[in-house]
Amino acid sequence: MVRLENVGKRYGTDAEILHDVSLKLDTGGFYFLTGVSGAGKTTLLKMIYLAEPPSTGLVTLFDTDAASADRATYTALRRRIGIVFQDFRLVDHLSVRDNVALPLRIAGAPEREIRENVPELLGWMGLEGKLDFRPATLSGGEQQRVAIARAIVRRPDLLIADEPTGNVDDEIAMLLVRVFERINKLGTTVLIATHDIAFARQFSHRRYHLDRGILSIANDGVIADVVPVADDGTIVEDEQAVE
Amino acid sequence: MIAALHLPRQFRLDLPLRQDASGRFLPWIIALMVYLAAMGGIGLIWLGDTLSQWDASLASALTLQIPADASQPRIEMALGALKQTQGVVSARLLEPEETAKLLQPWLGNSAAIANLPVPHLVDVRVDPRVAIDYPTLRKQLDTIIPNAQLDNNRSWLADVRGFALRIEGVITAGVMVVTALIVTIIIFTARIGLAIHRSVIELLHLLGAQDAYIARQFQVHALSLGLRGGVIGGAAAALTVVVLGPAGHMLQLPVPIATYGIFDWRMWLLLILTGIAAGGVAMVTARITVLRQLARMP
Repeated sequence: MVRLENVGKRYGTDAEILHDVSLKLDTGGFYFLTGVSGAGKTTLLKMIYLAEPPSTGLVTLFDTDAASADRATYTALRRRIGIVFQDFRLVDHLSVRDNVALPLRIAGAPEREIRENVPELLGWMGLEGKLDFRPATLSGGEQQRVAIARAIVRRPDLLIADEPTGNVDDEIAMLLVRVFERINKLGTTVLIATHDIAFARQFSHRRYHLDRGILSIANDGVIADVVPVADDGTIVEDEQAVE
Repeated sequence: MIAALHLPRQFRLDLPLRQDASGRFLPWIIALMVYLAAMGGIGLIWLGDTLSQWDASLASALTLQIPADASQPRIEMALGALKQTQGVVSARLLEPEETAKLLQPWLGNSAAIANLPVPHLVDVRVDPRVAIDYPTLRKQLDTIIPNAQLDNNRSWLADVRGFALRIEGVITAGVMVVTALIVTIIIFTARIGLAIHRSVIELLHLLGAQDAYIARQFQVHALSLGLRGGVIGGAAAALTVVVLGPAGHMLQLPVPIATYGIFDWRMWLLLILTGIAAGGVAMVTARITVLRQLARMP
């Protein structure tokens, strides 16, 4: 579903943020991306959700080479991705209902479908009484749930969440991951970025770890120091072999 | 809020463009432009009508100017020659009082006019459909009264027409300048809007919005502002015409402006078209500007 091959990222003449990163996300998989703040997690996610082009290397999304994709293809690819931003990025002047409806309206969904599905999803997220509230009047946790609802309302093939557990206590964080797991069970590939390595270790999901721009695979509490790339530069399909 | 949810999709704005400062000042600027353009348009109608009226009245009128010392029998002979000419409908010698009235703007009400060698004037009405042989007629009149002058007003009318054409050119250029100003203002406003709302626009892109989806929001907003300006400017122009009508009458203009008042359908059509044009120009300009700018964004 997602393949990054020998990807590097550098802004201007600054130091390289990502160095020779290779990564593969399989359809229906559940992944964590860990790393301390400033390790390059958000930059890596931005390249996956097509907000930033890589300086070097290849990004392939849904079997499409992002570098050679035209503008219309970019739009089509982005519509298959749901994003929970670290700062939520809710539109202040729109109600909770309209914020969540945004991806559907952009995709041209009928208003009748929006009127039925959006309140139902917000009810599922425990926000049934907040449909007409503005984001600024909600608590941080409520805003986060709105952001998640907006990311999943179109049933994306890939769900990317940047530090969704960053500003909530452990109990809520655990509940959020359970929500993502339920979405994952519906067939959506999930990638969660978090700086909290200990938290991610509590789950049995595949974990990538970023350290100063270098990506490695970790499982069962062991961070591998080997990037799953063969000598010829291609990604090794059976990643367990290199762990 | 719920009512907002049921707005037609074409009019829904995901971007908070209605909160921008441009929404407050732009309709007034467009209103001023529309007012100027509408007044220019009304001026063109008035000018065209005035020329047509002059043309129609002068095409069927001639003036024969007879020297003051001409004898009455000679004058009668000249009148007879005129009346016998094919195409001449009537020929009437103006009374001295009528001639004095014509000279009033230059000489005033002075009784001295009676002592001046004022030429006799003959008002000749002709059928505009009949071509009159002016050289022959002039030669004939000259033999009856040497130095009599037959004026068919054509050269004077040609000068007036030339002048009116130049005025029409100036008004048309003014309307084009006004249109260019509206386009320029909308371009800058759209660019400022793009800069202000860049983060939301990026978000919409990341959520899968096409450039046309984002551009549509700007064009709907620009159309709304343009139409608002069009209504204000058009109303101001209509009010000016209604107020200027009596004023024009008082000024004794050759063609009363009052006839272009509230009962003239052409004025209403012009005002409606000018308002719609302002909205249309604003909408198309916003769309093109935004699409060009968005194409440069990732």
